[in-house]
Amino acid sequence: MDNPLVSFTGVSKRFGQVWAVKSLDLSITRGEFVALMGPSGCGKTTTLRMLAGLEEPTEGTISIGGRVMNGVAAHERDTPMVWQSLALFPFLNVRENVEFGLKMRGVAKEERTSRAKEWLDRLGMSDFGDRGIEQLSGGQKQRVALARSLVTEPEMLLLDEPLSALDAHLVIRMQGVLSSLQRELGITFVYVTHSQSEAFSMADRVVIMGDGEIAQIGPPREIYRRPATRFVAEFVGRNNIFEGEARGNSLHSPLGTLPLPVTAFGPAVMAVAADRVSANRDRPGEGPSVKGRFLSEEFSGTSILCYFEGSDGSTIKAQVDEEALDLLAPSHGEVFWISWSTDAAHLVGS
Amino acid sequence: MSIATFASRLYLAAVFFFVFLPIGASVVFSFNSDRFPTLPLASFTFEWYAKAFSDDKIWDAFRNSVAVSLTAAAMSTFIGFSTAYTDFRYGFRFKAAYLALALLPPTIPLVIMGLAMLAWLSQIGLSGTLFGIIAAHTVLGSPFAMAVCRLRLHQMDPSLEAAAWNLGASEWATMRHVVLPFSAPALISAFCLTAAVSFDEFAVAWFVSGLNRTVPVAILEILQGNVDPQINAIGTVVFITSMTLVVIAQTIFMRRNRNG
Repeated sequence: MDNPLVSFTGVSKRFGQVWAVKSLDLSITRGEFVALMGPSGCGKTTTLRMLAGLEEPTEGTISIGGRVMNGVAAHERDTPMVWQSLALFPFLNVRENVEFGLKMRGVAKEERTSRAKEWLDRLGMSDFGDRGIEQLSGGQKQRVALARSLVTEPEMLLLDEPLSALDAHLVIRMQGVLSSLQRELGITFVYVTHSQSEAFSMADRVVIMGDGEIAQIGPPREIYRRPATRFVAEFVGRNNIFEGEARGNSLHSPLGTLPLPVTAFGPAVMAVAADRVSANRDRPGEGPSVKGRFLSEEFSGTSILCYFEGSDGSTIKAQVDEEALDLLAPSHGEVFWISWSTDAAHLVGS
Repeated sequence: MSIATFASRLYLAAVFFFVFLPIGASVVFSFNSDRFPTLPLASFTFEWYAKAFSDDKIWDAFRNSVAVSLTAAAMSTFIGFSTAYTDFRYGFRFKAAYLALALLPPTIPLVIMGLAMLAWLSQIGLSGTLFGIIAAHTVLGSPFAMAVCRLRLHQMDPSLEAAAWNLGASEWATMRHVVLPFSAPALISAFCLTAAVSFDEFAVAWFVSGLNRTVPVAILEILQGNVDPQINAIGTVVFITSMTLVVIAQTIFMRRNRNG
């Protein structure tokens, strides 16, 4: 990343007594799809708004294309955004909404009309130019919002939870639309979301934020397989967390002594992904095992997540397929052996 | 229909009946040829309208009233919108005091307001001028205009302005291309409403008008002389003017609000 499009250097933002973002360092390259993800109040939206110039950083600098943007007004930046509420102008029709950015930049009438038409065509909305905003469905409004932001052909598009108001089946469709648009245009997308499936399915890199700080940056798979902190392991979900005292290559936890993948000493947290563990009724499987009492199962499409209670009251999750569950036929309260191979375990920072 | 529903509808009908009966009577007698308002009615006539509108003083009063109400409505709407927008957009210390002050005028008894206006306007040499009445009516109308504009602005998605900046619009361009178009129904409503308030207003106008009478002041002067059915004719015109303005204000505001 020798020539980043965007760089945040030691950026902090304070609202009253609260630090919403704390000394954030982040570089984004051209053409990258970056997702900022975290629980609500983690500072992800504030970070995006600072990039758009809607909030001024309290400390630190933000530069875009090498130019320091501190003090540059929002309307002087080329950082169009797709809003959570979409924020389409209700008193303008679809075409006028799309033309708005061009009009504000003083583009002549004929060119505005032809460029707006081009983008409405591209997003499959060519028949809707004269419609009022209130006459559109949720998915159509989404497309108009995208066309309105992209019509000025920016280098970067900001998206603030744009799919959160849509029905589940439309979310999947719009994810496809966004991914292919980003690849075709080759521009940078900065996407804020609290949804793991949206972030992980579209982004090249995911930035996990918690409490105003970056907890981990990496490709989706790395974050999923190698969570850097306990917060990430828990937020990403489907991770089993074992806490205890590391003594060389074993972890002394309330559930027993478990082998560690690396050598460590002192208090430690070990994570094992739910899809890397297996449940067995009579005897432990290969590798480290703990005992768990079966609590419940949860269907989520193709896989099933089984919940067990460890001897210390902690919850242990195992992801199995439907066939395996039928074979296992667990009944509530029954005790199983939960096993994994040592290399599936991952030592995280606490 | 239950008895309770029936009773409440009857009650509502009775309220409207008593409110509109005197006005209705005035309208009916304005077309009655008898000099005194008595039943049974005599024959139908336009005599009183003809008489009233052949009087130069009445024409002057109408011209004054129209000039005052249009100007006062424009100024009230401007001040009311500015106040409401300040409230919508900015947070600052003493905001509660600012809003209380902006909404204060309707709580002051009109006679007190009239006296105070007279005293103040004569101090600055505006007493008895049309501009004095305009100033007084602007004070009375602004809170109504603000209330209407405030309702509309509260329906605006706060991201709408930010979205305009984000698309390259400066603050002024955003005001012109986003906030004003969004508020247009409220601005028209506020204008009609404050024009009606000014057109009808008597007490304060009576104190400050001097020789530049508005219609309500002219009516009183005729009334003081004798019982004259001209008043019914003038009253009918005033009533229709005000009601039309209020109905326009209501329909525009209600319809636009339903559409979002």
